[in-house]
Amino acid sequence: MAEVIIIGGGPAGLSAAGTLAKAGIASTLLEQRATLGGAIHRQPVGSAKPVSVSTAARHRFERLMQGIATPLVRLRVSTTFLGIDGDGCMLTESRTDGTVAALKADAVILATGAVEKIRPVPGWDLPGVSTAGGLQVMLKETSTPPKGRILLAGNGPLLIALAAQMIRAGNPPLMIVEAGNPLAHPVAAFGLLAHTTLLREATGYTLDVLRSGIPWKRGACLTGITARDDALEATILHADGRTEIVAADRIALHDGIRENDIGLPAARNNGKPIILKAGDCRQALGVFAAVADGERAGSEAASLLRGNKAALTRFERRIDRQVAAQRLLAHIFAPALPLPPLSALPDDCTLCRCEGRTVGDLKALLTVKDGLSGREVKHNGRFAMGSCQGRFCAANTAALMAALRPDVPAPTLRDLTGQRWPVRPVSIAALIGAASNETTNDHEVRS
Amino acid sequence: MTRTELPSSVLIAGCGIVGAATAFFLARRGVDVTIIDREGPAAAATGAADGAVSVASKRPGPMMVAALSGVALYRQLLAEGVLADLFTPRSTFIIAASDEECTVLEAHGAALSGEGVTVETLGRTALAQRFPALSPSARMGAEVKGDGHAIGYRIVNRLLSTSGVTVRRGVAAKHLIEAANGRIAGIATDKGEFRADAVVIAAGNGAASLLRLDGVMKPRKGQLLVTERAPALNASMPGSIMSGRYLLSKGSQKGGPASGRGYGLVVDPLVTGQFLIGGTREDSDARQTNDFDAVKHILADAVALVPGLADVRLLRAFAGVRTAVVDSLPLVGRWPVHDNLFVAAGFEGDGICLGPVMGQAIAALVCGEQPTLDLSPFTPSRFSACEVAA
Ligand SMILES: Cc1cc2nc3c(=O)[nH]c(=O)nc-3n(C[C@H](O)[C@H](O)[C@H](O)COP(=O)(O)OP(=O)(O)OC[C@H]3O[C@@H](n4cnc5c(N)ncnc54)[C@H](O)[C@@H]3O)c2cc1C
Ligand SMILES: Cc1cc2nc3c(=O)[nH]c(=O)nc-3n(C[C@H](O)[C@H](O)[C@H](O)COP(=O)(O)OP(=O)(O)OC[C@H]3O[C@@H](n4cnc5c(N)ncnc54)[C@H](O)[C@@H]3O)c2cc1C
Repeated sequence: MAEVIIIGGGPAGLSAAGTLAKAGIASTLLEQRATLGGAIHRQPVGSAKPVSVSTAARHRFERLMQGIATPLVRLRVSTTFLGIDGDGCMLTESRTDGTVAALKADAVILATGAVEKIRPVPGWDLPGVSTAGGLQVMLKETSTPPKGRILLAGNGPLLIALAAQMIRAGNPPLMIVEAGNPLAHPVAAFGLLAHTTLLREATGYTLDVLRSGIPWKRGACLTGITARDDALEATILHADGRTEIVAADRIALHDGIRENDIGLPAARNNGKPIILKAGDCRQALGVFAAVADGERAGSEAASLLRGNKAALTRFERRIDRQVAAQRLLAHIFAPALPLPPLSALPDDCTLCRCEGRTVGDLKALLTVKDGLSGREVKHNGRFAMGSCQGRFCAANTAALMAALRPDVPAPTLRDLTGQRWPVRPVSIAALIGAASNETTNDHEVRS
Repeated sequence: MTRTELPSSVLIAGCGIVGAATAFFLARRGVDVTIIDREGPAAAATGAADGAVSVASKRPGPMMVAALSGVALYRQLLAEGVLADLFTPRSTFIIAASDEECTVLEAHGAALSGEGVTVETLGRTALAQRFPALSPSARMGAEVKGDGHAIGYRIVNRLLSTSGVTVRRGVAAKHLIEAANGRIAGIATDKGEFRADAVVIAAGNGAASLLRLDGVMKPRKGQLLVTERAPALNASMPGSIMSGRYLLSKGSQKGGPASGRGYGLVVDPLVTGQFLIGGTREDSDARQTNDFDAVKHILADAVALVPGLADVRLLRAFAGVRTAVVDSLPLVGRWPVHDNLFVAAGFEGDGICLGPVMGQAIAALVCGEQPTLDLSPFTPSRFSACEVAA
């Protein structure tokens, strides 16, 4: 009776659960939010109407949901994964009643999605400024976009995807500030013809944005945010060198996505539990790769549990295609202007929001002649030490350290964050009340 | 002793608090010092410790004497400005909640007083007044005055940055290089040979293999927890809490440490408004991991004594590995067979408190002086394993 636990109800987690079920292996899928779907297919909460999506996207999600419509897949939504301890015991927290549970499993598949990158600018930590992903969750769960004038700024294809969704939901953004100039790369875009579905979705978003007439400022960047009265003012540096001040009620920032390695346990294909990673949390390659990677992880877990050899090449081929597609997209969206380097940020610009640490604090720490390691910077500067476990600041701190000390090997994110347990802060009362080592369910492996 | 007898260069293996303090005091004397560390400063026990700079938990005898000098040196370095903001004077409250703990506490309080430590014994009512955050289950307390708290990794950082000592990070010592005259010429590392006039081994759990000390030292893991900020609760605590059972688990009483997990509760209110909560003493496990059962046990003990902690969130857990010596005393001094080889390791749960004072003593020894602290109880020559050429 193997116990498999899957963390994350996005495309990767859903496809992993479906793949395991097809192989006759039961699993429990945990999702922290109230609904499934992940970053792209997040479903509305309660009676809210779903946001309208393309037919291809709707079909993809329907297929994933069909895959898990079996008693072999048990769902637990509103349940947060808190980590795996040194004995292999997994902790979860219910977001409905706050209780904590300790579970044992034979295999755990982490499919927790990507982390959004944010290029820090003065004022990025002001109230009213969020990530594009944060805004998107709000939009999809309530099916109404946040009210007021919303400015989207940053870099990459997800900005126009979000803009298109906001247009459909009835509150188009005020302006999109995009560092790249995707329309200036027709030859590269031609390469996307090999990726039909991706091209269709991307074209759909682009046409929506162009048709709506929203200012889509390409080759531009946001250089700072200040609070003025009840609103925010963003300074925009345009492609022609002009700067403009734009007033907005909310600003969503987004500079691409990367794999989620903050605090999560390392993958391993032996031991108890086996730990596998799937989807954007392993490598941020978008939804098509996430589905294939979920299938890969599901197949790999099934083989490892049964002790036979997994045939994974066909999944790997599909994932490789998405690596190529993402490379094209990265080329098409390459910043068209030199973005201000991190080292040019003013000393009072916040780097770490949880602990209130600034660019100046980091510079002061690095004045000693020998090269402090990431761990020393964390310890002595409190960077990546706070509640978010370094999710927001670790990458920027590491990048700024590298920029300030080109002669010292750059720290890795893990140098700064370490492996965190628990992955998120947890109530002490709930931890004490947790039952030890319950097993998840009574499913049987049918083999 | 004349200046000309100073060693022209000293090589230190290990950049925990002991290695960093030794380097700091040598640099103060104008000696050219290099530290090598297989990872980096405070990478081992020093970076994963609570920071009780405390005589409260020490057994009367040489460790108590050393701890008293240790605390005094922290105060001095604070006054000199070297440790400005990094050493927080505060009392330690030893709390008894059972008959057994009351007995232990009474005996221990008397022993501390006998050594000249200011201890105030508090009955149930007095304790509740002085320390309102405690649960009514606290029956008796001893306020040990004059203690303090310091975070090991921050002390290391300050000692290194004020002295300007060079640290070679990521250099692992492999073995000592013997010179023809019976002296030590330096250390062979994975990054080549490092030569010096004198060598100090301050490598914590790495010392045993460098000095071929079989069976003398062993790793002892401890799990520690950090909470989020809880400023009101934090401010209401006039000092740190040590449960009576901690004395038992640490072996501050005769009979040595308890076996198994060796749970002993310490709750330290940090200057950030957070709490550090410990801990365990696990001889069976040298992995730097945490486990749910231990964490739950520690937190349950903590909430039983300080109920307000139930409403606080656990931010993270970590584990450090102490270096324990079989007779519960550290190994500090000149190596019996080699004149220019020194060791300072095996501080178990006391190295944050003792690091600076032991570093100061070793620095004096290296420079040919008699240290003010009597190191004879800690001499490596008490073990026959140390009589062999390292
Ligand atoms: C802001 C944003 C917008 C995007 N827009 C598009 C788009 O328009 N078109 C497109 O093709 N791609 C888009 N993507 C990319 C696409 O969403 C992803 O490639 C795809 O969803 C990846 O699937 P996944 O299953 O790996 O991760 P996700 O879809 O991110 O799913 C991860 C799931 O894990 C859950 N989770 C995370 N941590 C925990 C935890 N500790 N405990 C329990 N559950 C947890 C999350 O709530 C989430 O439901 C977007 C991504 C982002 C971040
Ligand atoms: C959970 C816990 C709580 C504690 N609480 C307290 C407390 O409240 N008060 C107190 O006084 N003490 C406390 N201690 C004890 C204290 O942390 C240690 O005694 C002290 O840090 C030891 O310092 P050190 O310099 O001897 O060794 P370490 O800090 O272990 O440093 C040894 C260094 O040597 C390096 N090294 C090892 N081998 C090699 C090699 N071959 N080559 C190069 N470098 C090498 C390591 O990388 C490391 O940096 C606690 C310890 C733990 C684990």
